[in-house]
Amino acid sequence: MKKDLLQAYKQAPWRTQVQWVGIFLLIVVAVAAVAGLYLFISGRSAATGRRIQNLESEVAELQRQNNDLQTQLGEISSSRSLNERVESLNMRPLTPNEAIYLEVPGYIPPSGPSLAPPPSIKEERTPILLPEFTDTFIEWISSKLKADTQTLTPTEVQP
Amino acid sequence: MNESMKNRYLMICVIGTVVASVIAFQMIRIQHIDGAQQILAFSEDYQGVTRMIYPDRGNIYDSQGRLLAGNETSYEIGLDLNSITQPETIAGIAASILELDYAKVLGYATMTPGDGNPVYVVLDDFVSKDKIEQLVTIKEDYSKRTARGNEVLPNIDGLLWTPHSQRTYPEGTLASNILGFYSYLDRTGGIGYFGLEEAYDSQLAGTPREVYIAFDPQRLSTVEEVPPGVSLVLTIDREIQSLTEKTLDEAIDWSGAEGGTILVYNPEDGGVIAMATTPRLDPNDYWDYAELFPNPLPYNTAISQTYEPGSVFKVITMASALDSGEVDRDTRFNDPGYFNIGGATIYNWNMGGWGDVDMTECLQYSLNVCMSWLATEMGPDTFYTYLKNFGFDRKTGIDLGGENHWPLKLPGDSFWYEVDLATNSFGQGISVTPIQMAMAIGAVANDGRMMAPHLVKSMIIDGEQYNVDPVVVGTPIKAETAHILTDMLVDSLENEASNALVNGYSLAGKTGTGEIATEFGYSSSETNASFAGWGPAEDPKFLVYVWLEKPSISIWGSEVAAPVFSDLVSKLVVLMDIPPDNVRLSNDINSVGQKGQD
Repeated sequence: MKKDLLQAYKQAPWRTQVQWVGIFLLIVVAVAAVAGLYLFISGRSAATGRRIQNLESEVAELQRQNNDLQTQLGEISSSRSLNERVESLNMRPLTPNEAIYLEVPGYIPPSGPSLAPPPSIKEERTPILLPEFTDTFIEWISSKLKADTQTLTPTEVQP
Repeated sequence: MNESMKNRYLMICVIGTVVASVIAFQMIRIQHIDGAQQILAFSEDYQGVTRMIYPDRGNIYDSQGRLLAGNETSYEIGLDLNSITQPETIAGIAASILELDYAKVLGYATMTPGDGNPVYVVLDDFVSKDKIEQLVTIKEDYSKRTARGNEVLPNIDGLLWTPHSQRTYPEGTLASNILGFYSYLDRTGGIGYFGLEEAYDSQLAGTPREVYIAFDPQRLSTVEEVPPGVSLVLTIDREIQSLTEKTLDEAIDWSGAEGGTILVYNPEDGGVIAMATTPRLDPNDYWDYAELFPNPLPYNTAISQTYEPGSVFKVITMASALDSGEVDRDTRFNDPGYFNIGGATIYNWNMGGWGDVDMTECLQYSLNVCMSWLATEMGPDTFYTYLKNFGFDRKTGIDLGGENHWPLKLPGDSFWYEVDLATNSFGQGISVTPIQMAMAIGAVANDGRMMAPHLVKSMIIDGEQYNVDPVVVGTPIKAETAHILTDMLVDSLENEASNALVNGYSLAGKTGTGEIATEFGYSSSETNASFAGWGPAEDPKFLVYVWLEKPSISIWGSEVAAPVFSDLVSKLVVLMDIPPDNVRLSNDINSVGQKGQD
């Protein structure tokens, strides 16, 4: 009787096969999805890496161009070039007697060229969270011990 | 499913498992054999490359931000032997554009890479951008052509050009004695020689960094940025430097001097505004150095060459005597024309006596006897203590490579004699550099405060500009002494109607004629002619030190160096926007004002 009941609940063979095929396909789809995702991300990261590399070489090229332009400007406006141009324009240096000096109230002569900004003020960041909220128990103990030893000065005598 | 089918499936499973196991085993085994390790090691060479990145060398600017030393792109030309298809075309192009030897290039281009031959050959280096542009044009032209039938189109595949940085000095020889030079032909081991390039070599060079550049796109990451070297902004003004060099060159031509030095110095902060010497090298062609500077000629005489300055040193002696309280400006001295000391006799320049003179006249007539008397009145201890306080026993520490100094002989030294006390007082028997003299006399012009001479006004580090503060080296004399001595020197120039005067400007100064020691003793026909002067006297903005070596038209500093000073200062005041005294003092205009022209 018992044997008969077991036989009554057994899956049909085709149903079992479908289940196995389904599980297999699920695994295949999952693996394909992971592989696809991996390929997509690695492809994107490789493309981004290549783009960064291109941008870096572009930066290097622009820096070289900047140096070249600075040098060209230096050569065009060099003392020798300017003197040649001045002479070709039939100009000559001013003599002290020819100069007229005007008083300009409030005029402050320039102190020198500013080729770069002055040093920035390095502000110390104040932590928003108090140490009580961030310290571990061991850090709290060690900070307490440190604070206690700092309060002791060599001249103090402890009872 | 019958038994036979089951056995078949079982057999397939067993075979499949065995095959898979064998494959897996083989995969693992292959990875651990010696050959696999060698291939793995070999493959690492193709995964990426480790490169040393050299930052751009820092620029050098004058006080107005004009470029004195910078960098420009130049190119290395090479052959990638694996990519060459037409060696003759490459050799022809290299010969016509790069001016290389056709046969030599063809030899390289036809080499078979590997088997002891390299895969890359450098043909030329430091090729200009113009030539590279010609190569690019040719390459583009070849790529646009289309073949007809079996026609073989020309190409220059395998000819490569790689950009790199090259040090350049757009002003050529201007201020080259200050800048020094950088041996840029050595791309990895180049160093700075002389001047600022030597003194600030490590800062200008920056810190080279080793970076790994992966070829594998999966491993690509940003290459760590290598900051450029430190850039320097100088106290030198290019226009004043140019004027000073021109004035010096003309002075040497006119006077027949063998060489010379002119320093324009700011006594208020120690900044060197101009420093002209001869000869001058074009640092772009630094390989000419040995030819231009035969040993022992120093690269920069203003800081490296010591000489006996002569009477210009009397400023220091008088400053010491006044400051020590031995004399005041009204003290009188009866000059008999000679002074006996240590078994020797000191005479004046004209071998005559000048009778009753005050201290201003001692300076005005440049009396050796008077100065010898002052030194002996002070005594060696006081006199040499002042010389040490004025910095004559050491280098000035100026921020240039190659500074020199001559040890100061002191009482007790084996080569010091009593007569040295007298001769030192008028600048003989003592050797100094022009920069030492400028620094010491600068103290008299600057209320007794002696400033450290320097060239660098500010530095640009990581894109931020840091100013360099002036440094007070010492206060060898009191401010009151400095003012009194300045007045005395103004009076002495005006009373003498000196060649150094400039119309409209109050100037203080002193001439110097130093005899040159030879193997037969001091020569009266060969001298060092000097002049040290500053102005405006009551608020000095410049100190000019002129030294001409062995002038032939006259031996006297008053006739040779003083006119050079006057000529330079008459132009300098215009460039520095310093109005004449009547304008400056009556209108109380700032020393730097606005100027216009009729």
